[in-house]
Amino acid sequence: MVILKRKGEAYTVPAGKTLEQALRELGILPETVLAVRDGRILPLSHRLEEGEELELVDVISGG
Amino acid sequence: MRCSVCGREAVIKLRHAGLRLCPEHLVARVEKEVASAIRRFRMFSPEERILVAISGGKDSLALWHILAELGYRVDGLYIDLGIAGYSAPSREASEDFARARGLTLHVVSLAAELGASLDELTRLARGKTCSLCGTVKRYLMNKLAWEGEYQALATGHNLDDEAATLLGNVLRWDEGYLARQYPVLPGEGKLVRKVKPMVFLSEREMAAYCLIRGIEYLYQDCPHAEGARSIALKDVLNRLEDRYPSTKISFLRQFLKVRDRFRPPAPVVLHDCPSCGMPTAAEGPCRFCRLKDTVARHASRVTEDRGAAA
Ligand SMILES: [Zn+2]
Ligand SMILES: [Zn+2]
Repeated sequence: MVILKRKGEAYTVPAGKTLEQALRELGILPETVLAVRDGRILPLSHRLEEGEELELVDVISGG
Repeated sequence: MRCSVCGREAVIKLRHAGLRLCPEHLVARVEKEVASAIRRFRMFSPEERILVAISGGKDSLALWHILAELGYRVDGLYIDLGIAGYSAPSREASEDFARARGLTLHVVSLAAELGASLDELTRLARGKTCSLCGTVKRYLMNKLAWEGEYQALATGHNLDDEAATLLGNVLRWDEGYLARQYPVLPGEGKLVRKVKPMVFLSEREMAAYCLIRGIEYLYQDCPHAEGARSIALKDVLNRLEDRYPSTKISFLRQFLKVRDRFRPPAPVVLHDCPSCGMPTAAEGPCRFCRLKDTVARHASRVTEDRGAAA
């Protein structure tokens, strides 16, 4: 499994999918987040690896 | 995925720009776009002094960083609005940023200038929080830029902000706002020139820029922004963008080409506020001074009540 953390919530998705596929299945528009691992940005084409933990940074701000 | 510029591993794909970029070339693109917007719209020259409105969020800090990096004479202005749970961390993020880079940040507090924080003002005055906030911020930003002898006031509005504002203005066919929506608004009298050098850069690019540059911004949004119309407008545009890439950028670029067809309903004649001397569209005290008056009257009533009770 892969863990995606967003605003204090954690989603688990199976490994093997691309980041973009995982986001779409969670109903998150890829345009509205950046996925970060160890301080580095991962591209949407990144294939999720077993045991990986990513942070999703929301890029859309209010106001 | 390979970088369109250097062929190394890319981390971000910008469909609207037809680019895949590595961290180094994403940074280069962002800085180049800002520099070219400044030139193309003649926002300011290297000799002029620029004041950047700082919120502690990614866009304003990135803009400050970029302008300093490009060699402009730029200082920051942070307005502490006194919003519970938000103003303190946003001020701290702004002060930490300035300190780490040896930049000058002016900090003013609404409580000192007006006699009440935004939270208190919302209880005392008529009007919605976000509209009151807009009024007092615009007033203070202009006043401090004018008094500090800055030639331009820069804000970190990005493509997503501008496209959402444009959609909002179009949905109301607000000709006055449409006529005034432009990356640069010339100064007039005591109204300082307003510039938005990042309007062609998407919110996602700006967040990536901050992550790559190690700019530590406040992730948290203003609590009043929750449920705001601007967020709904951004969401609609991002859904369209997802299906039809370049929706936002072409919406804004095409608008800028036809914008001069919109005329403000009537030319605005500016008067000096008799109380503070700053410009106002109507005769008599400006809106800020009237709000200040409301706050002062309330404060004296509270004092009288206390006097009567004692
Ligand atoms: Zn590159
Ligand atoms: Zn006034």
